[in-house]
Parts: sequence; C-alpha cells; structure tokens
Amino acid sequence: MPLSTRQSFVSASAALLLLAGCVSTEQSLAPIDSSNFELDKTHAFLTAQVTHFGISDYSIDLTDFDAQLDFDADTPTNSRISVQINPMGVDTHYPDPEKKADWEAELSTSGRYLNGDTFPSITFVSTSAEQDTEFTGKVTGDLNLRGVTLPVTLDVTFNGTATSPLDGGKRRVGFTASGTFNRSDFGMDALTQFVSDEVRVSFSGEFISAD
Amino acid sequence: MKTLSFLSVSSAALVLAACGAPQTDAGDAAPAAPVETVDATQAALVDLSEVSSATYSLERTHAFLEFAVGHSGGISDYIVHFGDFDADLVFDTEDPTASTLTATVNPANLIVNYPGDYKAGHADSGFETWAEDMSRNARWLNADNFPEITFTSTEVARTGADTGTVTGDLSFLGVTQPVTLDVTYNGFANTPWFGDRDLIGFNATTTINRSDFGMTAAIPNITDEVTVSFSGEFLQDE
Repeated sequence: MPLSTRQSFVSASAALLLLAGCVSTEQSLAPIDSSNFELDKTHAFLTAQVTHFGISDYSIDLTDFDAQLDFDADTPTNSRISVQINPMGVDTHYPDPEKKADWEAELSTSGRYLNGDTFPSITFVSTSAEQDTEFTGKVTGDLNLRGVTLPVTLDVTFNGTATSPLDGGKRRVGFTASGTFNRSDFGMDALTQFVSDEVRVSFSGEFISAD
Repeated sequence: MKTLSFLSVSSAALVLAACGAPQTDAGDAAPAAPVETVDATQAALVDLSEVSSATYSLERTHAFLEFAVGHSGGISDYIVHFGDFDADLVFDTEDPTASTLTATVNPANLIVNYPGDYKAGHADSGFETWAEDMSRNARWLNADNFPEITFTSTEVARTGADTGTVTGDLSFLGVTQPVTLDVTYNGFANTPWFGDRDLIGFNATTTINRSDFGMTAAIPNITDEVTVSFSGEFLQDE
C-alpha cells in the first residue's frame, strides 16, 4: 500500500473510530427539538421503477433532487415537505457507456418521457398527512410532472433520529417513503405494451436540522 | 392464460423504432412473430411448459443488482448498485430445483449517487471519488486485492407457486460462505428481436452480515447487515 494511501487509511479509521463512539441513534420523536430540516443529499436515494415485459423491474435513479422538511415532532401530521427533482439527473445503469448517455438524454428530454427541456423541474408539495402507527403514516401532496399536477400519496416510515459529532450539534432524521402513480395520468403513455403504466417511487434518506 | 397482448409486427416495429438505445439490438430483421408478454398477476405464471429448458445468460440491459446498508445506525438505507455483473442460468423447467446459477460481480464498478465534490469533503481520501473509495479501499470492497465477487449455486428449493430459494457459495473478500437467495420467478416473454429465444424474469434478495466476510468498518453506524437485491431478465442462449 502506498504511504499516502496508508496515511489516509489511518486517519479515516481514526475518524470512524471517533464516530463509532459518539453517534447516538434512536427511533423516537422525543429528542427532536428542531423543525426545519434540509435534505442530506449525500445520504438520500430516490428511484422510479417500472415493470418491463411484466417480468422484471426497471429502475431509474433520480440523481439531482432536493427537499425541505418542516417537521413537527409533537404533531407529525402537521409536518410539511417540499421536493424538487431535476429531470436531467437520471441514472439507468445501462451497461454500454455510449448508449447509456444516449438513453439517459432521451429519457430526460424526450417529449415521450420526462420532457425536461420543456418542464425543467418535477415537484412534490405536501398538502396533508395522516398517522397510521407510531412511526408510519401517509403524506399526500401535489406531484407536478411534465406540467401536469395531480395528487399522489406516499407511505412514509420514520426510521429514527441520530446525532453525530461530525454534524456540529445538528440532528439527523431518517425516512423511507414509497408511492405509486400511473404515468399515463401525466401524459406519459409511451411503450405501455412493454412497460408498465404504474410507476413505483421509493425514497430513503436523511435530513439534517438547519440550526 | 399467459398472453396479455399481441401486437402486429408493424406496430411492434413502429414502437421499436422509437425505443432508443435500450432496444438498439432490436433492429435488423424482426421475425414475423407476435410480441408476447406475460401478465405477472396470472396464476398460469407457474406453468413452465412453454418456457425453454435451456441455458440462459443475463440480459444485461435489463438487470439491476444493488446492495443496501443502514446509515447513521440504521435511520436510512444507503443504496449502491453494481454496474458490471453477469450471470448464467441453466433453467430446468421440468424440475426447477435442478436449475443452476453462477454469477460474477465486478467490485470495481459501483454506481452510487454522491452529489458534489467528494475530494472537497474528504481531502485525506486516497481516492478521487466515493465510488472509487468504496470499490478499492481495503476497508470496503478491496477490489484491487479481490477483483471478483462470485456466487455459485449449490441447492435450489421450491417454496411456492412461483418462489424458491437458491443456496450457493458466495466468495467475497477472499471468504466463501453459503448464502441463500429468496427468488421469485416473474414469467417469460418473447420479442421479435430475440425470435424464439425466451426471456425469463426473476427477482431475488438476500441478507448477509458483512462481518462474516471480514468487513467490519464503521459498524454499527453503518449496519453489519447488508441487503442485496436483484431484478432482471435472462435470455435463452442461441
């Protein structure tokens, strides 16, 4: 191992050791005393999935998105979230690099698909929330996709909260969310013979308190 | 009842022409056969009588393999995809439990969504990107020393009408351990561009403890438990 790599390995290990001793994680709303949270973009994953030929799941990762969470830990149903997604940021994992670039550009910009040249932002703004169990609930909001706005409901799980010395006293909250919609409702009806109309959206990620 | 929809060759070709990159192989001489797709919700799915008992290879443009760990002690799923993997399946339709699967995964090709400048926040990393760090760092996938992850099935069992388990030897980081995949058979399809060659689709998932393979870094802030998921298609060999 080259010296420089070894040094970085050692310091990274030390950092991780420190971290290991100090991160505090619990699935509880009680310690949350902040309301304004920003998405930690480096720990956030958003995927849209359709069924191909009825026999496999085709996944498209959305790679450029942001969200603002107004979290009410006392009354979680009063929480609000706003999400912005850049349709130009997609990753299809297509194995051939050249075709991958072409396919992703088509997916982002074609009028058949996300039509990102004409509609450069996909947005979701919550309008209501309900609680199902202590840590699960439903968030309904307006999804604006390709210029069409329709209500979509997400099933949301609050996975817990954590603090780490690396975050400078800020608090993390982690969520998993999923929902479905029919793409044809948003005017996206290409290839419905091969590719499901139903789109399954899933998110997992963390938010960090703003203060 | 297996057939959900039939398209005429002409309309299939029209759709095809607009498909873009993923179907560029579709091209040349689409045979005069209908497009047949399978309704995955039909009970007839489990009828394998019209599926070829044959050797299949992964259809890599419709195949996804990811692993997920819990981050910050498990409050979010951290999801990483493998960008380079392959698999061969000997599918025995008369006795699916006699089927065999081998898979190879290149740990040097990881796809992870890390927005922003990795070096800016990790100046002491010896690597240029987080994907490279995760691939090559001895703490993680250590791809320089262990350039291939392999799975070779040893036993297949049926657990339901369209489900089963595939147990096999997973070799990772120089350690070989038995792992059991929970597998769902999703059905088959035929397309003009692949002619009589069948496409069959599966989902599979398993959970391993990475410490069993000697990877203990950052436990428990990053969970020991790793969930591995696959969805994809296999194409009957010519």
